[in-house]
Amino acid sequence: MGVALALVVAAVALVQARQFALLKHTVVYQDDYVVLSLYQVEAEYLRLREHWVRATLDSAVLDRDALQLRYDIWVSRVGLLHNERAARLMVGNGDYAEPLAMMDRFIARSDKVLGTTKPLPVTPAVLARLLPELDALAAPIHTMTLSASHHVSEQIAERNSAVRQHNQVALMLTVFLSLLVLSFGLMAMRQMRLLGERQRALVDLTAHLREARQQAEAASEAKSVFLANMSHEIRTPFHGLLGMLSLLRDTGLNARQVDYLRTATESADHLLTILNDVLDMSLLESGRLTLTEEPVDLRDLLREVESLMRPQAQLKSLALHIDADPGLPEKVRADRTRVKQILFNLVNNAVKFSDRGVVVVELHRASADDGSEQLEFVVTDTGIGMDQATLERLFKRFSQGDESRSRRHGGTGLGLEISRSLARLMGGDVIAKSMPGEGSSFSFRMPLHALETAPRPSLPAATTDPALPGVASLRVLVAEDHPVNRQYMAALLEGMGHRPFFAGNGLEAVQAIREQRFDIVLMDLHMPLLDGVGATLSIRGLPDGVAATVPIIALTADAFAQTRERCLMAGMNDFLAKPVSPERLSAMFRRLFGGAQAADAAADGYIDATESGSAAVVLDRTTLDAALRAMPRERLTQLLHSFFDEGPEMVERLRVALRDGQALDLRVNAHAARGAALNFGFSALAQTAQALHEGATHVPAHEIARLIQRYEQLLAASREACEAAGLLEPVTG
Amino acid sequence: MITRRRMMCCLAMAVSTGPSLALDAPRGPVVLTVYGRVSKPNRGDTAQFDMAMLERLPQHSFVAQTPWYASARKFTGPLLRDVLAACGAQGSNLRATALNDYRVDLPFEDALRFDVLLARLLDDKPMAVRDKGPLFIIYPFGSSAELRTTVYYSRSAWQLKSLEVQ
Repeated sequence: MGVALALVVAAVALVQARQFALLKHTVVYQDDYVVLSLYQVEAEYLRLREHWVRATLDSAVLDRDALQLRYDIWVSRVGLLHNERAARLMVGNGDYAEPLAMMDRFIARSDKVLGTTKPLPVTPAVLARLLPELDALAAPIHTMTLSASHHVSEQIAERNSAVRQHNQVALMLTVFLSLLVLSFGLMAMRQMRLLGERQRALVDLTAHLREARQQAEAASEAKSVFLANMSHEIRTPFHGLLGMLSLLRDTGLNARQVDYLRTATESADHLLTILNDVLDMSLLESGRLTLTEEPVDLRDLLREVESLMRPQAQLKSLALHIDADPGLPEKVRADRTRVKQILFNLVNNAVKFSDRGVVVVELHRASADDGSEQLEFVVTDTGIGMDQATLERLFKRFSQGDESRSRRHGGTGLGLEISRSLARLMGGDVIAKSMPGEGSSFSFRMPLHALETAPRPSLPAATTDPALPGVASLRVLVAEDHPVNRQYMAALLEGMGHRPFFAGNGLEAVQAIREQRFDIVLMDLHMPLLDGVGATLSIRGLPDGVAATVPIIALTADAFAQTRERCLMAGMNDFLAKPVSPERLSAMFRRLFGGAQAADAAADGYIDATESGSAAVVLDRTTLDAALRAMPRERLTQLLHSFFDEGPEMVERLRVALRDGQALDLRVNAHAARGAALNFGFSALAQTAQALHEGATHVPAHEIARLIQRYEQLLAASREACEAAGLLEPVTG
Repeated sequence: MITRRRMMCCLAMAVSTGPSLALDAPRGPVVLTVYGRVSKPNRGDTAQFDMAMLERLPQHSFVAQTPWYASARKFTGPLLRDVLAACGAQGSNLRATALNDYRVDLPFEDALRFDVLLARLLDDKPMAVRDKGPLFIIYPFGSSAELRTTVYYSRSAWQLKSLEVQ
């Protein structure tokens, strides 16, 4: 179509150009003007001949000048026929060439009398002699004039016909052009209509798509809700299953069965983790997860993370170092469970993906982009690290670093996504930084809502005056070979109200730990026989759970990071640079024991203060009487016997679980112990077991050890109470 | 139009108040006779010029390509308007008559609008009758495309004999 239009326009242009050329031609050649010249040649010829004839008749009437003028005019007219325009018209035409030649010949002869030079006189006789020649010109000149006239007429006719033809072509082209324009118009209208239809179709499609999307979203939400409900529903019977598994353990299994049970429990534990993840995810997706904010003690929180994670880190020979900025508020408003969940996930990942080195958890203040205050937990590891592509995939569902990692490390792959979603729900975020082979760093930020707390009386006192006891009096073992240092430490510790004990080298320190209970060990790194790191390794390897988990603080003048890492790797809890200042020592004790004064008190006096502060009774007679009514006395006695016979075994199991960092074992056993104790009305025992059960995952190891010790003592106390009640025979011997 | 009218006025003033140079009588053969509305006749009620009189008027030259000659030629002579002024001609139309009684009408205005030449020399030589002489009204064809049309070619009367001012 476009080509046709272009062709038509070109054709119109061509026709117009030709018409223009034709007109120009006409103007230039002026053929009709030549015809006029010819007529004038003939007219002048006739006038000349008239004069000439008259002049030959009588010399008296001969007007020389008049004849000369007529002659000159005629010659000038003939001369015009010689110019190129006339020549072009007459070329190749005998009707012109011959008369012109005749005229020229005549002029040449008569110029002898009438020319400018005039060699001969003008006499009638001379003129008469030339007259016949002049007469002979009449017919050819006339023929020439007629011929030119006809010729020009033909040319005009030809030109007219050409113009007519051009006009016809132009007309046709115009018609064609009109048709083209018309069809263009029609096409445009059709396009417009099509466009309109397409737009309507698009609008319809958009509406359909919107509807489809709404349906899909509704379906997705319904699925999330269903999943959340199902996860919850599954968990209830699953807890029953776990309980039954734990009860099964106490039914006198052989070694093989215990092994199976352990595997089953591990699987169940894993399944529970997955279920919890799925539940969280579905709650997050359906938007039904709500945060429950409460006052949270930040140091407590970190201790919980440490106590749960240290055993895992130790299993992989990883150092775990947890450090909090002292300037942070003690309490903040936060969702304790969810913050812990995120931290557990991050630390757990760090431990999982590190095969050596150290995992560091730091807590400090940060400011958000908008300037508001944030709390930032940074979990750094020295693990395998990640490249950029892995980092980008990291928070996507079901993705781990890569396939090989998934196989190596297991897990649902939901952890980080949940962590980030939770952090964002809190108004913060989780951000990962990593380089392959250089470890990773995960930063968890959340808004900092500090809570004003009534200052604990000991805290400011301890800060300003280390001599005042900030914490309860502690039994402190100082492993130090230098006598002066020993004296210094003794003065320092006694001044703070603690009871120092001394070991001169590593071996002595290990021996002391085996024989006595200490609250804390201050371990010099450079000692004869066995250095601090070696001694720590030995202590951590002790079979006695309480002894193996005693907090150990390194003392050294060597402040290099590697030294520090080596200490933490060996299982030390922290690090004090020499010379030891009272402030730092005090701060260390506060950090380890300051927030657990109740537990310290319990450790000192063995009165139960973990729950409400009121001591529970050793034996609740009401429950025991109810049991007596329910069964024969002999049966009860038998049950009591088996309970107390299994007592030491239970205590041992608890200690092994503590030593091995098997929080679940600890829980399951404590749960079982609690159940049995409640049945007999051993309230204090049950309470301790419950404390163990609840604290298994987050209470620092040394407190767990205390609770186990307390459990052991209460077991004896309960037995004595039973004996006093006459239900059991006193053990003899 | 205003310009043209002003020019006309100027011309009229020049004619009426200009130097009262009386037109001399011709001494040689008369080559041009101007008659009709002529205010300064020198013989009867006509103004007659011999070649010397025309030669005494300011002379102008230009070279132009014309239909009558194959190549561009040089034309020399007084301006038509100077000739008309010399004889006090006033009118709207000029009727030029050639030796062969060819007649053509020129608007009087043409003499004012264009530097129309009353050529008496062709390539600096007097023109014989057989060379379209002795006088040739020639428009300045080189100066404007408007002039290169049949209308002006036909107004260029050659072998000019007389001018009637109407």
